[in-house]
Amino acid sequence: MSTPLEVEPGASAAQPEAILKGAGKIEGRSLWQISWMRLKRDKIAIAGGAFVVVLILVAVFAPLICKLIGVTPNDFHQPLVDPSLQTPIGKLGGVSWDHPFGIEPVNGRDIFARIVYGARISLLIAFLATLLSVVIGVVMGIVAGYFGGLVDTLISRLMDIFLAFPLLLFALALVGAVPEQLLGLKGDALRVSLIVFIIGFFSWPYIGRIIRGQTLSLREREFVDAARSLGARRPYILFTELLPNLIAPILVYATLLIPTNVLFEAGLSYLGVGVRPPTASWGDMLSTAANWYQVDPMYLVPPGLAIFVTVLAFNLFGDGLRDALDPRSR
Amino acid sequence: MFAYLVRRVIGAVILLFIVTAVTFSIFFLVPKLGGATADDLASRYVGKSAGVEQIHNTAVKLGFTDPLYKQYGRFVKGLVVGADYDYGAGIERCPAPCFGYSFLTQQPVWPDLVSRIPVTASLAGGAAFIWLITGVGTGVISALRRGSVLDRSLMSVALAGVSLPIFFTGLLSLSIFSYGLGWTQQGGVNPLDETNPFWWAYDLLLPWVTLAFLYAAAYARLTRAGMLETLNEDYVRTARAKGLTERTVVIKHGLRSALTPILTIFGLDLGLLMGGAILTETTFSLPGIGQYAIIALRANDLPKVLGVTLVAAFFIVLANLVVDLLYAVVDPRVRIS
Amino acid sequence: MRWNRITTATAVSAAVALSLVACGGPKASSGGSGGGADATKAAYDAASGKIFNPSDKKGGTLRMAITEKWDSTDPGDTYYGLSWNLARNYVRPLMVFKSAPGAEGGKVVPDLAEAAGVPTDDAKTWTYKIRKGVKFEDGTEVTSKDVKYAVARSLDKNTLTQGPTYFNDFLLDVPKNYSVFKDPSMSQIAKAIETPDPNTIVFHLNKSFAGFDYFAQLPSTAPVPQAKDTGTKYQLHPISTGPYKFESNDPNKGFTLVRNDQYDPSTDPESGRKALPDKITVAYNVNGADIDNRLQAGDLDVDIAGTGVLAETQAKILANPDLKAHADNVLSTRLNFTVFNTQVKPLDNLDCRKAVLYAADHEGYQRAYGGPVGGDIATNLMPPSVAGAQKFDDYGFEQDKNGNVDKAKQSLEACGMPKGFSMNIAYRADRPKEKAVAESLQQSLSRVGIKLTPKPYPTGDYTKLYAGKPDYAKANGLGMIVYSWGADWPDGFGFLSQIVDSRVIRPAGGNTNLGVRIPEVDQLVDKALSTTDETARNQVWVDVDKKVMEQAAVLPGIWAKGLLYRPDTLANVFSNDGQNMYDYAGIGLAQK
Repeated sequence: MSTPLEVEPGASAAQPEAILKGAGKIEGRSLWQISWMRLKRDKIAIAGGAFVVVLILVAVFAPLICKLIGVTPNDFHQPLVDPSLQTPIGKLGGVSWDHPFGIEPVNGRDIFARIVYGARISLLIAFLATLLSVVIGVVMGIVAGYFGGLVDTLISRLMDIFLAFPLLLFALALVGAVPEQLLGLKGDALRVSLIVFIIGFFSWPYIGRIIRGQTLSLREREFVDAARSLGARRPYILFTELLPNLIAPILVYATLLIPTNVLFEAGLSYLGVGVRPPTASWGDMLSTAANWYQVDPMYLVPPGLAIFVTVLAFNLFGDGLRDALDPRSR
Repeated sequence: MFAYLVRRVIGAVILLFIVTAVTFSIFFLVPKLGGATADDLASRYVGKSAGVEQIHNTAVKLGFTDPLYKQYGRFVKGLVVGADYDYGAGIERCPAPCFGYSFLTQQPVWPDLVSRIPVTASLAGGAAFIWLITGVGTGVISALRRGSVLDRSLMSVALAGVSLPIFFTGLLSLSIFSYGLGWTQQGGVNPLDETNPFWWAYDLLLPWVTLAFLYAAAYARLTRAGMLETLNEDYVRTARAKGLTERTVVIKHGLRSALTPILTIFGLDLGLLMGGAILTETTFSLPGIGQYAIIALRANDLPKVLGVTLVAAFFIVLANLVVDLLYAVVDPRVRIS
Repeated sequence: MRWNRITTATAVSAAVALSLVACGGPKASSGGSGGGADATKAAYDAASGKIFNPSDKKGGTLRMAITEKWDSTDPGDTYYGLSWNLARNYVRPLMVFKSAPGAEGGKVVPDLAEAAGVPTDDAKTWTYKIRKGVKFEDGTEVTSKDVKYAVARSLDKNTLTQGPTYFNDFLLDVPKNYSVFKDPSMSQIAKAIETPDPNTIVFHLNKSFAGFDYFAQLPSTAPVPQAKDTGTKYQLHPISTGPYKFESNDPNKGFTLVRNDQYDPSTDPESGRKALPDKITVAYNVNGADIDNRLQAGDLDVDIAGTGVLAETQAKILANPDLKAHADNVLSTRLNFTVFNTQVKPLDNLDCRKAVLYAADHEGYQRAYGGPVGGDIATNLMPPSVAGAQKFDDYGFEQDKNGNVDKAKQSLEACGMPKGFSMNIAYRADRPKEKAVAESLQQSLSRVGIKLTPKPYPTGDYTKLYAGKPDYAKANGLGMIVYSWGADWPDGFGFLSQIVDSRVIRPAGGNTNLGVRIPEVDQLVDKALSTTDETARNQVWVDVDKKVMEQAAVLPGIWAKGLLYRPDTLANVFSNDGQNMYDYAGIGLAQK
């Protein structure tokens, strides 16, 4: 990731004209208000954010949307597929009013519906994995940064260990080793949990390191010293002094972690260890498309673009958020 | 300095042991959680007409019936000292480091694995060279022309670059350049089969460019941000005030300090990539370590999987070590802490 | 596309006619002047059962590739049909499938032996005479002891784990866990194999088996010199008796064969081997799509698996007349079908099973395998290319290609499940065609209320740990199991015994009979084994087939065909009923 975030608590913006006119109190603006104003001005970030919201809505309302358009994700439409060529009949991979994105080869499933349902999987896994990473990373980071000494060393070594794992290899090995039923879960639920666990559990050091760094620098700040000299206990300091100042970087890095996790999940699905069929997932569609691009090149486009656009939207919003919270990166 | 080096090397070795131990556990413990026995595991490695007796004998021969720590101990011993292998008509010596024998082919893992490293190294090295130069270069230009149309376009392209998955861009470039225009040969060539270095590079060109594009985009953004940060620093202002040309200011002062974190990340990225660019190798059918890993995993061939994991972790840890050592050389405070 | 268990199959008599008919519809000429089989001009199906571009010219390097690794180059440790096909180039077993096109290639002829085996003692004893003058690649002459040693070492399933177990099952008094490495004098199997003189070998069986010549063609009977046997390392350089020998062999990468100067063609009058290429190279672990692309580009000569191109390549080939002229739609003795596991309710009820047979969309099944090019709708078990097979259609699959919903509903009523039921259907995760079958059945059965849940499993462990393990299958409700079966050789025993005899079901897993348990079938199988008259024996196998269908124990899907691509670099290329792919002992390269 890019440069560490420096957070300036409590900078206020003066309004010269108001002062001159003597128009009442001078209102100090909090960090949040300033950031929000800056964010609002960044049209591109807003666009990204809006698109993210749209994506979430699409994922949540997937069944409804499909019903409105009249498509289903798992139904076959074999009459629309050439019997011996197995490719969709018609141009552009079977695009028509009934099937806005075309149909899949061999079984003729509607691509639009599968993209929409695939959004559910991608977003669900990405959000949950990010949440897991953030929770573990923040806790570990704060504890390491604040307590220092042996605790810090231990946690830092732990981070090193986690970072040394070739993550993709492990994901493949683990998914391959897990039996059909584990800990009371099976089917889609097991798969999703497994992938969330793998991505989330092994990615926490990235956030952990950053938060640790932030905590280390914040720890030496005057306001913490002040609180301590007032006799405040450690948990109090952690929660009321440190945490609020960490929220900004946590938010930014969480938002920037989500697209990485979307890409990771797509990669796992591409290699064949994502959710199992017939559940739709973008990576799995791309992996099938990889075989068919010579005779049905259009099939590459919807899943690839879906991944691209999703990741882009999150990146745009995340960039904008970071810029809004950090005055110097313009 | 020496003490620091020793400490770090020991730490690296311990790390490698931990990684292999975890791999071992995943392979053996996880199926056990699902109720599989040693015989169940062994039945993967016998022919299709094997009886119960035979499966059990295979389980014993491959060591599945021994407790986990014993099996792991055997693996470690093989790495350090070497092992003996009974191939029916005699005993073969597998010298250290012995990565064991494939469960499926009964042949040693090490030679095959090692023969694949040059392919991955070619891929990673070439791409790294390209992305470092283009990425950093683009970032510098963008930072210098901050706010201009050029800056905005370059950063837009960079943003697109970090938002694309390699398998999508890889497939697109294959379908356009390889299948569509016929510029490169289809069908997974081994670039190291080429005797002429020109053809070696030609075979790798498409994967290099596709892979480098993604990283270059990330590095462009990183470099630009880093440059902007340093260009705001006091000492740069001083340099400008002193009357140095903008060029000197940027390159001598700005770039130098912005480059340090970039090179750190570069080292780590390269280490990670050497550990098997699985997605790239799968997309372009390159016979490197990544592809080897996929084959081994699909066949549930633990010795091969262990071998690959160890090699991958080794590169990651090595990269970390080198980067840390360079930091220690540059910054004395690091050695003491 | 990975096809692990490609096994050989042969057919006798009517097979050629049938394969030509089965290839049926597509025109055999590449559009131009009709009529007249021009055997040198590329045309669709030009090499199916007949020789395309016949040639006697020697020379060139035959480049072959496979998507996975070889099971083993050790003749005593291999089970893949493609391996048996190619092994004829470097070993000479007692008998061998003739290298000739069509039905001729389905005949087992003497190779190392002078003549077919002589049965005595009610087909419990078989005697072969070994030709004189056959030499190993190092110049030493082959004796009967070398053949005895070869079979003996193949009995050690702890060292050589991959090969077939026919000799273990049928030879007399073989001790448990027998290993020739612990018994170098072979005294423990003295009762099973005798070598009265250096040119005679006698096999004693524990029960009558009239088809022993088929055992004699297994590569395990190819002679192995005891002094040069290196156990699991022997695969690196098997000592050759055939026209080629190993120049190099890396079990992870591939191998190269070159001419064996000690091979004397005058000692090999009947097998039909041509040994045309000067060199043969085999590359492992090449991606399926890459194989197809290289074939079309002329960078590769043969896709060894011989089961056909990938679905997407098939689309490309069939749509392009020039490519199509290079394709052969070869019949194989393989049934793609779905087994009912009678231990899972309600499939223990005959009418519920019949309901599935009636409701299934057979055309959908066919589509999953690539439409008519992928195979013909199967109405019973034995493919037409099996010796003595008869086709019958008790459930009306041909009329009701898309299933018969009414009859299905009636059957559901009869079995007490008028609203249908839920069931799991297992398939191999990395086989897109099986996935398509599961999903097609899911669709078609839902019309009568039968809800299927597809359950993918890894191919490698499919029969060992999941679908093929009775306890697991029962516990996980795997009532329908998608499978594919190709005979080890094309007669009733080779095709049916492993998939319908309930006594071969092992609780430990690794089964090929995934759920058929019919006592009358078991009795019929025993009857067939001891019937020495061939015609009568074949009729008994037909009765087995009828009984299985009567009990609705399986849902036959299609009799498979493969679409092979034939590059212009090949000459003297043909398929036959013995190999069901191009014959690798006869194939050669086009010379300029």
